[in-house]
Amino acid sequence: MNKKIKFRVNGKKVEVDVPTNRLLIDCLRYDLGLTGTKEGCSVGVCGACTVLMDGDMNSSCLTLAVMVEGRDITTVEGLAKNGELNPVQKSFIKYGGFQCGICTPGQVVAATALLNENPKPNEEEIKDWMMGNLCRCTGYYKIIESIQKAHQFAK
Amino acid sequence: MKFSQTAQISVAREPLWNFLMDVPKVAKSLPGVESVSKIDDTTYEGVLTVRVGPIKLNLQGKIILEEQNKDQWRAALRAEAKDRMAAGAVNGKTSMTLKDLGADQTELVVETDVNILGKIGEFGQPIIRKKADSMLKEFVENIKKQLTGK
Amino acid sequence: MIPFEYRTPKNLKEVHATLKEFGGDAKLVAGGTALVIMMKQRLVRPSCLISLRSVRGLNSIEISDGGLRIGGLATHREVESSPLLRRRLPMLAETYHHVATLRVRNMATVGGGLAHADPNQDPPPSLIALGATVKATSANGSRVIPLDEFFKDYYETVLNPDEIITEVFVPKVAANTGAAYIKFLPRTADDYATVSAAAVLTLDKSKKNIADVRIALGSVGVTPIRATAAEAVLRGQPLKAEAFAAAGEKAKEAVDPVSDFRGSAAYKKDMAAVFVRRALEKALAGIRQQARAKAAPKPVKRKVAKKKGRRR
Repeated sequence: MNKKIKFRVNGKKVEVDVPTNRLLIDCLRYDLGLTGTKEGCSVGVCGACTVLMDGDMNSSCLTLAVMVEGRDITTVEGLAKNGELNPVQKSFIKYGGFQCGICTPGQVVAATALLNENPKPNEEEIKDWMMGNLCRCTGYYKIIESIQKAHQFAK
Repeated sequence: MKFSQTAQISVAREPLWNFLMDVPKVAKSLPGVESVSKIDDTTYEGVLTVRVGPIKLNLQGKIILEEQNKDQWRAALRAEAKDRMAAGAVNGKTSMTLKDLGADQTELVVETDVNILGKIGEFGQPIIRKKADSMLKEFVENIKKQLTGK
Repeated sequence: MIPFEYRTPKNLKEVHATLKEFGGDAKLVAGGTALVIMMKQRLVRPSCLISLRSVRGLNSIEISDGGLRIGGLATHREVESSPLLRRRLPMLAETYHHVATLRVRNMATVGGGLAHADPNQDPPPSLIALGATVKATSANGSRVIPLDEFFKDYYETVLNPDEIITEVFVPKVAANTGAAYIKFLPRTADDYATVSAAAVLTLDKSKKNIADVRIALGSVGVTPIRATAAEAVLRGQPLKAEAFAAAGEKAKEAVDPVSDFRGSAAYKKDMAAVFVRRALEKALAGIRQQARAKAAPKPVKRKVAKKKGRRR
């Protein structure tokens, strides 16, 4: 059965008519064309599907679209403002925080949430926050470095 | 996944054997068996519901009597069942051996080897193991109760 | 997953009415992190999901009757970051911090987690060791259930299908009490424990004897286990070096773990003894640290005049 839901994505109001069993990740990717968010494991473990819901990290593969009625969703597409990448994105580019890129949308969304709460996290704090975002390529060193140095790009 | 249940039943070997050869009756001793119907002399059809918390399985399948060896006091049956909502399938073999302990006492050994396939299999082998173990225990207890009223 | 109806009741009365309307075919959902996985795998197929997400007022964390009242819809994140809990009961805040990843903790609720009743979860052993109770509410009223009587089997609790956990209450912690939760995680940081142990230790005034102790373990059976026999060898006894190890060995007898990819049953049993001992030691260290903090002179701010003169 279908339900009409209204919420905000990357600051914009949206309204969709979706089956109740539609997952948020599928709604974002297929109904709204925002394919930046990736599905990795489907069980909420890998973090590739990370989006922010009212600023808090969320596994969009485990959230039903109907659950986000009235909420503010931020995807990787919403991090850059007016064509300018955010400090985390700039830092990931400068310090090489990605290789194949499949986990990267989740990584930068999660890291953005971290820096919103703690602008200069130390390595332990970064590891604790980011431990749910898995990466098969980098070995995590450059991800941690990128996040640690992201404050250099903050205004 | 292998299970083994052993029980001493206060009944002589022959009546126990006859009881065990009545497949529908014996099948109903397994908790959760909803129906058993005969297709032919060695094939039966059945429905088994198993619940683990919020997970409910509705297994529908066949029971085939593979071995019926009265000389050796050994019977074996094979079962293949699918969950109606396709959460998986179960197939397994059970063998029952009767040992005469004399004086109207028989030892019943039930050995089961079960494969759980599909989602239920992926989901929780440990849960399944515990559940299957407790079901088989209850199975043997039920047989005992039906034969000896204890 | 199969199609279903989705209802969003605004208060408990509406929740109960919707539960009655759908009967056994409905499932309550709060955070949904556990339920949605099972629904995706078609292991659970409700005809209706009753969301608790629009019900207000059930997520507070406050002091009450000297103890702590935590609303059933408080998220794990709210519990781990609550300034009140971190000050008064850091062991519980830390326990909730141990759960999965932050993404899960932002959604998963205290009540939902307990109702899910996975024996590998972190909060139950800590809550049991703290003597916590759960308030279960239905259309007919509420009842209070001690948490060590709450879990029946894997994914099964004593809750009736029409009951919701509206609150968890942690009673007042006695003086000279230390609480510890240790999660043995030899694999990944976001995993369930191979074995976990929670201990709440209370010493008498002299601090030489054990006035009371509660020990609970996770990941060692089909439910969390309260190690009452281990508690019995400690309660009322003088505090001795070997006592904790002996309690650990006694706790080993109470557990019945399963072999899985986190460890064999035999290994988990051995580790149960080790981690009970370590949890007790950590709880004791907590009491000693509190005592030191109380006894330490408070730093006094003094104005020091700058002295001119020879350097000595």
